[in-house]
Amino acid sequence: MADIFRFLAQAMRYPAAEWFNDDFQSVLLQLLNELHWQEEQEELRLAMARAENFLEDVQIEHTRLFINAIPHVAAAPYASVHYKGDGTLYGAIAEQTKKFYRSKGFTLARENDLPDHLVYELEFLALLAKEDPDGQREFLYSLFTPWFDIFRNKVLREAHHPYYRIVVNLIDFFTREEL
Amino acid sequence: MSFKVTRRKFLQTASLAAATLPLAKVVSAETGFVRDPFTPPGSFAGTQTVTGGVCEMCFWRCQLVGKVRDKKLVKLEGNPKSIDNGKSICARGNAGIKLLYDPDRLKFPLKNIGERGKPVWKQISWQEALDECGARLKAVQEKYGSHSIAMFPHGASAKYPMDFFEKVVGTHNVSEASFFQCRGIRDSAYMATFSVPPDESVDMANAKAILLIGCHFGENVHVSHVKAYLKGLENGARLVVVDPRYSASAAKSHIWVQIKPGTDTAFLLAVMNYLVTKDKYDKNFVKAHCVGFAEFKQGIAHASLDWAAKICDVPAQQIQEVAELLAANAPNVSIHPGRHVSWHGNDFQRVRAQACLTALLGAVGVKGGFVKPKGVKVKGISWPGSEHGGEYNLRLLADKHHYAPPGTPTELIRDACISGKPYPIKGCVVWGQNPIQTIPNPQKTIAALQQMDFVMCVDIMPTDITMYADILLPEPCYLEKYDFIKTGTQWNFADKHQQYIAPRMPLVDAMFERRDGVWIMNEIARRMGHGDKIPVNSVEEKVNKELAAVNLSIDQLKKEDGIHIQDGKDPYGVEEDFEVLLYNEDLEDNGYPAVPTYIAVDDAPKGFARLVYGRAPVHTFNRSQNNVWLHHAMPVNPLWLNDEIAREMGLQDGDEIELVNSEGVKSSSKTVVKVTPGIRKDTVYMAHGYGSRNPLLTLGFHAGADDQELITRLAIDPETGCNGMRNNFVKIVKDGKALDIPA
Repeated sequence: MADIFRFLAQAMRYPAAEWFNDDFQSVLLQLLNELHWQEEQEELRLAMARAENFLEDVQIEHTRLFINAIPHVAAAPYASVHYKGDGTLYGAIAEQTKKFYRSKGFTLARENDLPDHLVYELEFLALLAKEDPDGQREFLYSLFTPWFDIFRNKVLREAHHPYYRIVVNLIDFFTREEL
Repeated sequence: MSFKVTRRKFLQTASLAAATLPLAKVVSAETGFVRDPFTPPGSFAGTQTVTGGVCEMCFWRCQLVGKVRDKKLVKLEGNPKSIDNGKSICARGNAGIKLLYDPDRLKFPLKNIGERGKPVWKQISWQEALDECGARLKAVQEKYGSHSIAMFPHGASAKYPMDFFEKVVGTHNVSEASFFQCRGIRDSAYMATFSVPPDESVDMANAKAILLIGCHFGENVHVSHVKAYLKGLENGARLVVVDPRYSASAAKSHIWVQIKPGTDTAFLLAVMNYLVTKDKYDKNFVKAHCVGFAEFKQGIAHASLDWAAKICDVPAQQIQEVAELLAANAPNVSIHPGRHVSWHGNDFQRVRAQACLTALLGAVGVKGGFVKPKGVKVKGISWPGSEHGGEYNLRLLADKHHYAPPGTPTELIRDACISGKPYPIKGCVVWGQNPIQTIPNPQKTIAALQQMDFVMCVDIMPTDITMYADILLPEPCYLEKYDFIKTGTQWNFADKHQQYIAPRMPLVDAMFERRDGVWIMNEIARRMGHGDKIPVNSVEEKVNKELAAVNLSIDQLKKEDGIHIQDGKDPYGVEEDFEVLLYNEDLEDNGYPAVPTYIAVDDAPKGFARLVYGRAPVHTFNRSQNNVWLHHAMPVNPLWLNDEIAREMGLQDGDEIELVNSEGVKSSSKTVVKVTPGIRKDTVYMAHGYGSRNPLLTLGFHAGADDQELITRLAIDPETGCNGMRNNFVKIVKDGKALDIPA
């Protein structure tokens, strides 16, 4: 599971040419294949085939969904924007998340980063998968799933490109059944 | 629907699934985590007070401290050491925290790969962004000349870039909204009368009478300024408010002059003529300091009380009452110079009349009068200047607006952009300003932007103008960076005379990839071939060098809790050579009235009312529109409508409406009606800065109506070239139907 969470975290990073390459895309397709997610596989293959520049398509979609875009950032990938707050960054759940990391002996390498970013939470799940399954369940139940469900629905509603719909569904698949 | 395996099944058949997938090979070796020994909650330091904040929720720049817990800013407070705002900050100051953590803020450099106005954004690296900005600005400069680059800067962080484009690149086409759509007229008019810009330098705390022309303190909140105003009232000052609307200040006034908009100069002329003809002016001051009294007296002799009463639509007796009140309390009278004064295109004359009235009352350098504080000067360090001549100066080429504030009048720039004459303007740099909402007639601004070869914007928020950028760069906000050095004195001149120096220092580190203006400008300057002229390598170096001139440093200021305080000087008194030009010969030589003169403005056409606008206490225009706390405090800007008119029109308080102006421009979003007896029948009012058209602002988008898009009849103040923005007339649209306003 650790590798899967790391893979999913990677999939949610800003797509850069250094890693969002044929190898990565091929592994993603294999994963979908192993899961028998045929429709998703076909949808992704079709998007790849039709794209003049698949990387740029996904970069634009990432910017629109998660950074700044019209009709406004569709689904900021931070817990506190969606859960137990007023829609701003660094709300109470972000602080709770940071404390949880510490309680398990971890802190962010870049201390000023927001702790409740989806990529960090997935990386943290990967760390716990190796060492602390109970902690992983606790984190999923108390801090991850409550906001991720809201976030995922926003992505599914707002996404123009299949890539992020598929990735958030994969994250949902691998986190929901963990509970 | 295809059969899908469960997660459990997937992992159970690991040999077929996870184990055979080379997942680990395609992810980075690095993770965002490092090992950190667990520290139980409660055993480490909790909230820490960080000093050195200087607010920028408005331009007043109160001094702050931040309560920081574990790298997160949790609360802002006034710096208890401050002799300016003290422990107090306003609603906007408090809500700065929500600007800091606004998820809509700009985070990374963005490139527009769509169209201007309909952008498709893509995150790019700083390297790519800077390379493109540098190359494309240089290309514009090489093809069309330095003058073909226009710049629209605003705020403290834009000063250094503005200096680069003016001094090093050598373009005159820099236009600050704070001058050309706000206070430039005031500064120029006082310069033409007192030879000094006035700022807001009236000693209200120690005044016996205060005259406000349109100022609406309480709705317009700058902490130490409001403290001085309230202290004056507490001490018994008589308050006269001239305003078509029953503003927060009018509500505290002893005399409310419900004047017809656009006629204030006539009112002031009548007051001054009354004082002169009744011998109620300060003869000693006039004799000692005023030039051209005889010409002045003759020039305003026509301004009888009855003449003004008819023009201003107020009783002659009330004008007399105001004149008597001012004379009775002279010289301890604050004639407030105002701040945003670009109203009707006849404003230079009005503000000059305010300065002349101040002089007639002898209200200069005395308690309660016009008194410039004696603060310490900290000279800014910036780019080396060089002479670029006036060959391409649009104002000189047009030979008009001889009393323009620094920079080039916005209209001259926009006209040149659109017409290509006298030369094309093809590059545009917007730094912290939102010209779509600050400059009237946004369609004209859009046309100017659309014809550019390159547009770059630097900002903290995705304001309307950023939709037209090719490259959009993110800056840290005022809580995350060094930049400005605030100086001043204690707010009440009755207290011990002191001076303070408070550089802005970060309360928390900048997040994401936001970079400060000095760094951005230096990097672009290098790419434009001007690396050899860079005066400082970082903003910290700049602040330290500036502080060194007064024997201070960032380290020292940190030791002093963010504010250095030293003995001050008595600000009262008048220099012997202080001169007031009641009659200004130079003005006459340039074709303008030498004595303050009333110039009539158009009346509203039948069925329309004049649209005026102002401030809201919880917003700084568009800048705070998307702030979650401030938005909740005042989500829309109700349209003030006279109650009798509303009754005739069948409108109720809270009705949802739109507006259409006399030129057929309809508001692109809705607001609600506020039915009140507190406004003239021929006038409607709304707070400025609502109804953003940029959907990137989650909260501010279409929240309330934007007055600026309805301001399409452009008045230009002839002396200064500044925009007059209150000569527009509107009808109310209810349920799609435009209703006549029966004023």
